[in-house]
Amino acid sequence: MYSTTQFDGNVAFSGGGFMPSQATQSAADPSFSPAKNRDAQGLLPLTVKQISEALLSSDDKSNILIDGVDVNNVTLVGMILNKTPRVTDVSFKLDDGTGLVYCTRWVNGEASETREMDAVEDGMYVRVHGHLKSFQGKKQLVAFAVRPITDFNEITTHFLECIYVHLYNTKSTLQGGISTQTAMINPVTNTPSKGYQAPPETEFSGQYSVEGVKSIDQRVLDYMNSILEAFKSLEAEGLIYSTVDEWHYKSTANG
Amino acid sequence: MDTSKPAAFVNGEFLPMYVGRRVRAVVQNVQPAAGVTRGNTTDERPLIIKGSPPFQLTTYMEVIGIADTNQSIQAEKWTSFGNTFDASTYNQLCRLANGEHKNFAPAICPKLQPAIDASLP
Repeated sequence: MYSTTQFDGNVAFSGGGFMPSQATQSAADPSFSPAKNRDAQGLLPLTVKQISEALLSSDDKSNILIDGVDVNNVTLVGMILNKTPRVTDVSFKLDDGTGLVYCTRWVNGEASETREMDAVEDGMYVRVHGHLKSFQGKKQLVAFAVRPITDFNEITTHFLECIYVHLYNTKSTLQGGISTQTAMINPVTNTPSKGYQAPPETEFSGQYSVEGVKSIDQRVLDYMNSILEAFKSLEAEGLIYSTVDEWHYKSTANG
Repeated sequence: MDTSKPAAFVNGEFLPMYVGRRVRAVVQNVQPAAGVTRGNTTDERPLIIKGSPPFQLTTYMEVIGIADTNQSIQAEKWTSFGNTFDASTYNQLCRLANGEHKNFAPAICPKLQPAIDASLP
């Protein structure tokens, strides 16, 4: 994320020109590419219905996109059905009321993994953390944690989280530009309980009404005044000096 | 993946929209009564559940089944939600999923639109 102070620095000392918008800046910066987002490792609360309607992204990585967000690790809450233990894995279906998804929990002979799967039975409500995969066109969940639900308010909470994250991502995507960046980054970075960062305020988000001067004009004038003050302060400290007239300066350090 | 048999979140207010379809509801203060179980939905409306829970009664129970009439459900599965459960928040979830914000519904309530169509004359 770019902070406001970084922007001011760029404008003041990069040799002039107009200030690029955040959207332009991010487009030029490959690190903001949604497909390569380093934060896509987070855990996304989802329903089976959302998974069944998810799009497979067009690149060759066969990524799954839901509400414009790259999905890898997900968390679901539902009822276990058809639990089938085998030597190396336990397969089951998870019914969360919106649909059924096939899940596999690999057990590599470790006692803790076996105990975890022994503790859950058909008909029990569980929370599943897993990795969403698409294999031969079928989406399935490779679970890495299957835990019985003991406080049933967790079911309510999970679905409320699903609604919240769904709305957050779809609304942010619709707004585009600056908000899109936060949509890509926040929902998957933070766990939902931490809440989400509000979209950053834009330069013109405030409403100003000054007699005879339109709000944006006034905002520009205020901005220019702040730059002039910065120049005066730099001149007083001997870091810049005026050249051909009082509007042209050079830096003492960089020539 | 199979999304052909969803169970919609309902309270007493929204149960009539799903008659003939699969629903899930939390009932409170259940009492056994001559082959059926009586209780209240999370919005305090009376509900008749056809069937009995396979375990001891608790204050809050979830029932998944087919909505028979405006006030009754043919039970398929029972789950005990224990004696402490936040029924009012669950009720708000039902309202979010069905009524007040219909644009929320697609994420969690997949067959809402056909159910509404079916309930219309």
